[in-house]
Amino acid sequence: MIRVDPSKCSGCVRCEVNCSFFHTGMVGRRSARIRVVKIEEIGIDFPVVCQQCVERYCTKCPEHAIEVGPLGQIIISPTLCVSCGTCETLCPIGAIELYEDIPYVCDLCGGDPRCVKACTLGAIYYEPDAHGQISLRSFKAKTKKMSPGQKRLIFALESSRPLREKWVSARRK
Amino acid sequence: MLYGYSGHILRVDLESGRIVREKTDPQYMLKVIGGRGLNSMRMYEELDRHVDPLSPENMLLLAVGPLTGTLLSSSAYTTISGKSPLTGILGDSAAGGYFGPELKLAGYDQVIITGRADKPCYLLITNDNVEIRNASHLWGKDIWQTTAAIRKELGDIAVQVAAIGPAGENLVKFATVACNNSRMFGRTGMGCLFGSKNLKAIAVRGKGRLRVADTLKYAKLCNQLDQRILEHPEYDKRNALGSTQLITALNNIGILPTNHFQKGICDYVDKISGETLAKKYKVKNKSCFNCNIHCSRYFITKEAEGEGPEFETLCSYTSRLGNKDLKFALKITSYLNRMGVDSLSSGETMGWAMECIQRGLLSKEDFDGLDLRWGNKKAIEKLLDMIVHRRGIGDAFAEGTRSLAQRFGKGTEKYAFHIKGLDMICGDPRGIKAFGLTYAIASRGGDHLRAEPFFELTQRFDEAERRWGIREIADRLAVKGKAVLVEYTERLALLTDCMTMCKNIGLSMALMHPEFASQLLTAGTGLRFTPERVNDALNNVIEKERLINIDFGIDPSQDILLHRFVHEPLKEGPSKGHVVPIQQMVKEYYKLKGWDERGIPQRKR
Repeated sequence: MIRVDPSKCSGCVRCEVNCSFFHTGMVGRRSARIRVVKIEEIGIDFPVVCQQCVERYCTKCPEHAIEVGPLGQIIISPTLCVSCGTCETLCPIGAIELYEDIPYVCDLCGGDPRCVKACTLGAIYYEPDAHGQISLRSFKAKTKKMSPGQKRLIFALESSRPLREKWVSARRK
Repeated sequence: MLYGYSGHILRVDLESGRIVREKTDPQYMLKVIGGRGLNSMRMYEELDRHVDPLSPENMLLLAVGPLTGTLLSSSAYTTISGKSPLTGILGDSAAGGYFGPELKLAGYDQVIITGRADKPCYLLITNDNVEIRNASHLWGKDIWQTTAAIRKELGDIAVQVAAIGPAGENLVKFATVACNNSRMFGRTGMGCLFGSKNLKAIAVRGKGRLRVADTLKYAKLCNQLDQRILEHPEYDKRNALGSTQLITALNNIGILPTNHFQKGICDYVDKISGETLAKKYKVKNKSCFNCNIHCSRYFITKEAEGEGPEFETLCSYTSRLGNKDLKFALKITSYLNRMGVDSLSSGETMGWAMECIQRGLLSKEDFDGLDLRWGNKKAIEKLLDMIVHRRGIGDAFAEGTRSLAQRFGKGTEKYAFHIKGLDMICGDPRGIKAFGLTYAIASRGGDHLRAEPFFELTQRFDEAERRWGIREIADRLAVKGKAVLVEYTERLALLTDCMTMCKNIGLSMALMHPEFASQLLTAGTGLRFTPERVNDALNNVIEKERLINIDFGIDPSQDILLHRFVHEPLKEGPSKGHVVPIQQMVKEYYKLKGWDERGIPQRKR
């Protein structure tokens, strides 16, 4: 899976840009499969990407269009998918979002993630063997009925809380 | 199908509420490229030269370059232009962040705003939907609050907002516009222009995607630039300190403005340096859209936090005013960012006042009893607040140093360090001669970014010999050849402004040149931007900017440096004994430009 270290992230969105460009040949935030949440008031930048969670909520696709690939990545069948948006609703952290009727989710670029290459700060890294380890159960209830953007914000806020506390205690003594 | 360019120009008249969307004309863009070039050309063609800058008829233009928002590193800028309320001539200011790319995703290469709304409003741009919305509830709020409130209102924290603070509302002449809370369109008072139009903010939500013409070639070129950035010898330092490294660097060559340019060396430089800032208060790097230098920083202190500061702000509120307290400068940085005030211009008004007090030209009583001694933090803070709200003597300060010194007279004009009304940046020209020339001829007034002739600091003598046949160009203290350098880098600086790129890449790190730009532009836009066409466009814009300034009343008597920099040599350090023989340099520059001795471009075509 792709891991994130927010203490190193500058929020440059090179991961988004390169993800979008190498998948679609175009650049646009909404067609990136990794999305940086920028909480400017507290200086947090947090890339949100599929956590390959234990629960695999998105695989409850009514059309059976979603399966888990050998790398642990999510594979969506373009022929079976009817753009119903269930996967977007099911994902607790907003890692899947429909854009122009196509669901966008991290596919690990076949094992050589472009976002990792693009990040020159080491804030994103790839651990091929780590998947199915993180539980997103605690977010499921918290982010019910939220838009993918709001879900990502909640996930980023919660996940970066220890970092923020560390900063404050180090600099405000 | 247009590539690179987003495809539309938006015209909004706040008075009538008329909103018009035009198609971007590729033939026109070939002549101006985009960004500052596009804005300046529109002003040249459409702006009535006699308008009062604060009147509804003045234009407010925002433009983004053709490759901004794509794969190209460090192309995140937006340029805001208009007739400057501070200087009365060509005004423009650029900032990075995430606003420009978003505007491109919303489908626009330029936004042209005229008129004045009858009550406070903000402009919401979402692709096909453009609305002028009520902002009465936002009036009075600072920039951070405004940004947060608009994002909350729209239910999306990814909305990009360019907003003004109370300073802009109160028509402080050097008020700024900010996006991403701390990315300042700092110079020439564009925030004041927003305020005069009752425009509190522009919010953008872009739903589109950007295409480039030759995807593979373009990706290859962008990769090349990325690699060159990473392999650059200055990369580590720029990444760690950003522009704040200049505090130490300028002090080392004896040109760090100290006590309002009375000295070029600061004894307490270690207390205020970028290194100290990084060690004590930085928590992590920050960055503009898609940049791999990540030169900005996030800081936290007991009293304040935020992104920044850049060198000019840091120096303006430390050595330039004799302040030794770095933490205080950081607090001021946050304050300026919230209120929307230019650090250079506000700092210069105070530096002028402090020097006038020191010299006994003016006294405490002239400044509402404020004790403007060097480094008096209480007085600085109080005066800033008075400027923002135009209270008491702050009202006069809010007009800028030129007007302030004229008001007081008594020889205080000699210490008002502005050129064409724009307050000078932090870098003593006596030790960097090409910069001196740049300040004098810059089309927006006393500013270095119009040419950023960084090459003179490199000591790359052989390269200077090879490129221009003049070795002295690589020697910062030499005069010879500096007009040649500035004539060249002025075009390069305009090129980066037209592509709305960062000057660090284009000039300081010397990673951009017209040939490479022409390849990028051609692969990106699909238009045939040959090196000759690019150069023609640049020359054309420089000429038009000069012509428009001549219409605004600029003549050679204003292409100058202040008395101190021409007649009083620096007293100590590695730049000791130096002044700038500016008259001779300006003359040489005119000649190279093909302008007559009155500084008027002569038509050859």
